[in-house]
Amino acid sequence: MSQMIAEINSIFSEIGFVFAEGPEREKISFNFDALNVPNDHPSRDMQDTFYLENDPEMVMRTHTSPVQIRYMKENNLPIKMICPGKVFRNEATDATHEAQFFQLEGLMVGKGVSMGQLKGTIEYFFSKFFNGEVEVRFRPSFFPFVEPGVEVDMMIKKNEYNKLSGRWIEIMGAGMVHPNVLQAAGIDAGVYQGFAFGMGIDRLAVLKYGVDDIRLMYNGDLRFVNQF
Amino acid sequence: MKYSYNWLQTYFKETLPSPEILADKITFHSSEIEELIPLDSDTILDIKILPDKSAWLMSHRGMAREVANILQLPMQNDPLVAEPNLVKSDQIQIELNSKNCDFYSSSLLEGVKVGPSPAWLKNQLEVIGQRSINNIVDATNYIMFGLGQPLHAFDADKLGNENGVYKITVRQAVLGEEIIVLTGETYKLNQNDAVVVDQVSGNLIGIAGVKGGQVAAVDVNTKNILLESAHFDRVAVRKTAKRLKLQTDAAKRFENGISRQTSAIAMRELVQKVIDLAGGKVLVQSFAGEFSESRKTVTCSIEKLNSVLGLNLAEAEVEKILQSFGAVTSTVTGGEIKLTPSFERDDLVLAEDLIEDIGRIYGFHHIKSVVPEKDTVHKFNQRFFYAEKIRQALIGLGFSEVYTSSFRNQDKVKLENALASDKQFLRSTLTQNLIEARQLNIPHRELLGLSAVKVFEIGNVFNIKDEEFRVALGVQSGTAYKAKVDEPILLAALQAVETTLEKEPELLYNQEGIVEFSLDKLITSLKAVEAYETLVFHEPKQYRTFSLFPAISRDIAMWVPEDTEVQTILDLLQENSGSTGVLVSHLDTFTKEGKTSHAFRLVFQAFDRTLRDDEVEVVMEQIYQQVATAGFEVR
Repeated sequence: MSQMIAEINSIFSEIGFVFAEGPEREKISFNFDALNVPNDHPSRDMQDTFYLENDPEMVMRTHTSPVQIRYMKENNLPIKMICPGKVFRNEATDATHEAQFFQLEGLMVGKGVSMGQLKGTIEYFFSKFFNGEVEVRFRPSFFPFVEPGVEVDMMIKKNEYNKLSGRWIEIMGAGMVHPNVLQAAGIDAGVYQGFAFGMGIDRLAVLKYGVDDIRLMYNGDLRFVNQF
Repeated sequence: MKYSYNWLQTYFKETLPSPEILADKITFHSSEIEELIPLDSDTILDIKILPDKSAWLMSHRGMAREVANILQLPMQNDPLVAEPNLVKSDQIQIELNSKNCDFYSSSLLEGVKVGPSPAWLKNQLEVIGQRSINNIVDATNYIMFGLGQPLHAFDADKLGNENGVYKITVRQAVLGEEIIVLTGETYKLNQNDAVVVDQVSGNLIGIAGVKGGQVAAVDVNTKNILLESAHFDRVAVRKTAKRLKLQTDAAKRFENGISRQTSAIAMRELVQKVIDLAGGKVLVQSFAGEFSESRKTVTCSIEKLNSVLGLNLAEAEVEKILQSFGAVTSTVTGGEIKLTPSFERDDLVLAEDLIEDIGRIYGFHHIKSVVPEKDTVHKFNQRFFYAEKIRQALIGLGFSEVYTSSFRNQDKVKLENALASDKQFLRSTLTQNLIEARQLNIPHRELLGLSAVKVFEIGNVFNIKDEEFRVALGVQSGTAYKAKVDEPILLAALQAVETTLEKEPELLYNQEGIVEFSLDKLITSLKAVEAYETLVFHEPKQYRTFSLFPAISRDIAMWVPEDTEVQTILDLLQENSGSTGVLVSHLDTFTKEGKTSHAFRLVFQAFDRTLRDDEVEVVMEQIYQQVATAGFEVR
């Protein structure tokens, strides 16, 4: 996990993306409201949330997106940042789901930032991370904090040594930051626009290292850890 | 939602492309296809409808509208085009006394004949996963899956009336009020729930927008029916359905904000469908509240459209895309797009919404990648940088990094909705988890070729209010902690950390081979970061599944000629350790009177069972023989 985060940071720092962090126990307002997920809206059901018994204002963050909000509030434009970190989902665990896992999100906001740049940035990252030429494609989707929102598939250029290559793989969600999110972070959505993306780092491990059960990454078993 | 290909076809005169091609079009221009299910004479498209489009897309008509946009095909038989035909009458008195309902319509039909549905309807419902009940109930479901509007039929003779006048009221429930629903269960309501009440008898006949009551259920003897098509508040329905754990198809559609004009149209469609299927005639209709709905015009400049999408669309192209949108009006002139959406589209409000729709209908595959420019980072994350330094130092000393759960069975901060009783609290230290991780790995030392289990974790812990980034280290070589052996390993590791940080960490915990310290407390006193370390990338190792059965180890020592390479012996042992041999390691060497002795450890393990000692003995016998054949002398 640490190895992957270091690699991710190394690749993104080459193109000027700053590594940012935030608390794992987050304000509900940052985790949902500021991200255009209003209370009592079906979009809140998209992420099963852990709440705290004596703290109605807080949740265990369901994504690292609140770090984006914090970063936008505290930094000047233009912004290029990534925020890898632990997130929590209140769902049953199996080989591909953990209640606690690591996410990587990225954000770029400025004048005229486009979906073309989103595509180029993602391709740049995956090409380096998977060590091969990567092409991505977008499919329409919905995440409350972006508009347009897309699912991203990637394909590593066919190469006989890489069994991942030559086929489309569903890899992450992305889109153009919703104007409500920019406004909530104090940015004039009439002037600035940006893209955001997010994915599970576990999923990257599954693809890159052939891990067949992501729970192994979080139980401290050296029979797993010491293989890397 | 499951969509029937044949049903979608009814909205088009032209033949739709094959289900596979249609699925592909929907995937890249609208929604994710979860499954394509071929049937004898139909194909089911199971499509994931996301919240932004659920108000209008969760119906066959909605999906047909989408298909019309994507394929630029004219629609036929679109029920939403014709105006509703509702009239008001005093014979059904509807009172809306609830903030949760802004429109309610009702139709009284007499002389219907309840019976089984015709085969086509039974089939049409069954293929999309709905059970056929009778022609009346099936009609309400057919229209709901067709138009998205939840509907309900009451047996009019089970309602009270005053000289033929029916009185329907929608009001808030009284705290503690109870209702028995169609399926027989009793639900206790509160003042936030809205209910549909038969004002004459005082009976509760439905939980508004969620489920009908049993008292006025349609049965085989029903002759006269009162139909309901209404519009209930999305948030209120959502709260009620959630609290009562009654996530019905109706509730799901209301909570997504279906348009109220659709409900007036659905009444017209339902009445017709019931008469077609069960005969009878309309005696009287009425409604309360407002049903017409209009949407605000959305404006977006072509410049912004192209800038966001990264495209270069001309006015004429945008105009062409908008042609089949089914909008009330749309114009593209002077670099500006103006569009007034049709009443059911609640998702076209901002310029960005319009950009998305134009983008996806045109096709995101047209977007060209813009390669990012090389750039340097001027802000460095201290915590990440120093955590990484500590990691490298400890890994260099043979430590392994573990990630453990942030949840524990007992601690300071409690979760409201834990997944399991042993995961109810947030961890306030790393120590407990690390003790467990160390313990977990003790039995695998030989398998892993480790003389000691040396682990560390870097992660967040939680106090009542604040959160802290900490580091913990743990060492143990034997089955129990032995200060004499383990303490020096731990001290050396701490020393390495101190050298790395150029600061001595203050230990928050230091007992029996486990230490913990706060990196957050130190961080401000550490040197500012000026650059990240350069990483060396390695070809990724592929993970190999490991056996969950216990391992058995055997040591072997032998005299060998002085010039014998250790590798030669390792290879020999490896070759002869059979299918269960998982690890061969060199333990030690000593030389006495011109002879050299090497000791090795072999570890055996099976994937499918616990190995028995006698199985290992057989392999060892083979090894002894081969060692002897090679001219070495087993000690």
